Amino acid sequence: MNPITLTEDEKDVLQELMNVAYGNATAVVAEMLDAFATLSIPNIKVMETSALLEEFQSLKGSSYFFSTQAFVGEFSGESAFFIDNESAQNLSTHLELESEDDLDDAILELTNVLTSSLTTRLAQEMDTEVRFSLPSISKVPLGEIANNQTFKEYSQVIVIDTQLIFEDQKINGEIFILTKDGSIEWLKNRLNIILEALM
Amino acid sequence: MKYLVTDDSKLARLTLLKSLKVHVGDAEIFQAENGAIAVDIVKNEKPDIVFLDLTMPVMDGYEALDKMMEINKNLKVVVVSADIQEKARERVINSGAQLHVQKPINADKMLEILEII
Repeated sequence: MNPITLTEDEKDVLQELMNVAYGNATAVVAEMLDAFATLSIPNIKVMETSALLEEFQSLKGSSYFFSTQAFVGEFSGESAFFIDNESAQNLSTHLELESEDDLDDAILELTNVLTSSLTTRLAQEMDTEVRFSLPSISKVPLGEIANNQTFKEYSQVIVIDTQLIFEDQKINGEIFILTKDGSIEWLKNRLNIILEALM
Repeated sequence: MKYLVTDDSKLARLTLLKSLKVHVGDAEIFQAENGAIAVDIVKNEKPDIVFLDLTMPVMDGYEALDKMMEINKNLKVVVVSADIQEKARERVINSGAQLHVQKPINADKMLEILEII
């Protein structure tokens, strides 16, 4: 399979769509946690999965809570949410959680709300619909991330990467939206339809 | 009045419970962590208003809603989900839900919901 690339115009349109989607997600998550949140401007790139895994190695800290949630439709893929141990403990303190199970539950719900609100809005902007699976969670040492089944299902991915930051609570998470190979072509088509409508 | 709060996430249930209790005080409130348990509660405890998530294990909210409507077609169901796509909204409204609202629900939003239904 030849590598697919996004043109600057396509990236620009996707960036704009994501800005709208992230604005929506930020508001929803901030309300959910009753805290002021910011999401960094999403960084968009097409890359080989192996390169993505190398990028994960650059995340700070040694161990992460790692949760994923798949979405299917014309635009299919998976979101991957990382939150380091220290941030997870700060989240637990902020929410006054009583056990590790409660913390897992909170991270899963955060993943669900982030993924759904982001992807729902992005799908709306692209005039399509998606369905969501249940999120799942694991606590992963960095060295084992490459073995995760999630990443074995992708050869090439569009990575939409942003940081979720609750500054006062010292909570940082990083979310990646991974799209499957077939969806990258679909996405390129859709972005060009949007572009043409703007011309 | 009896209420049922259905969500697989404890955090989501507690958030909703907190908002609900602001307005209904000591009313009887049941909780369910999936659609199957929720359907049993609807059958046995006969709540008046159900808050229902869509994405849940064992039985999702769509199937649970259909089963609840078979048990009591006048049941008031508020679907509470992060997924607010039009198709999801159409499906749950066509199945008999009164409302389809986006998570999370704070006390102000809860008041609006209770006034509407």
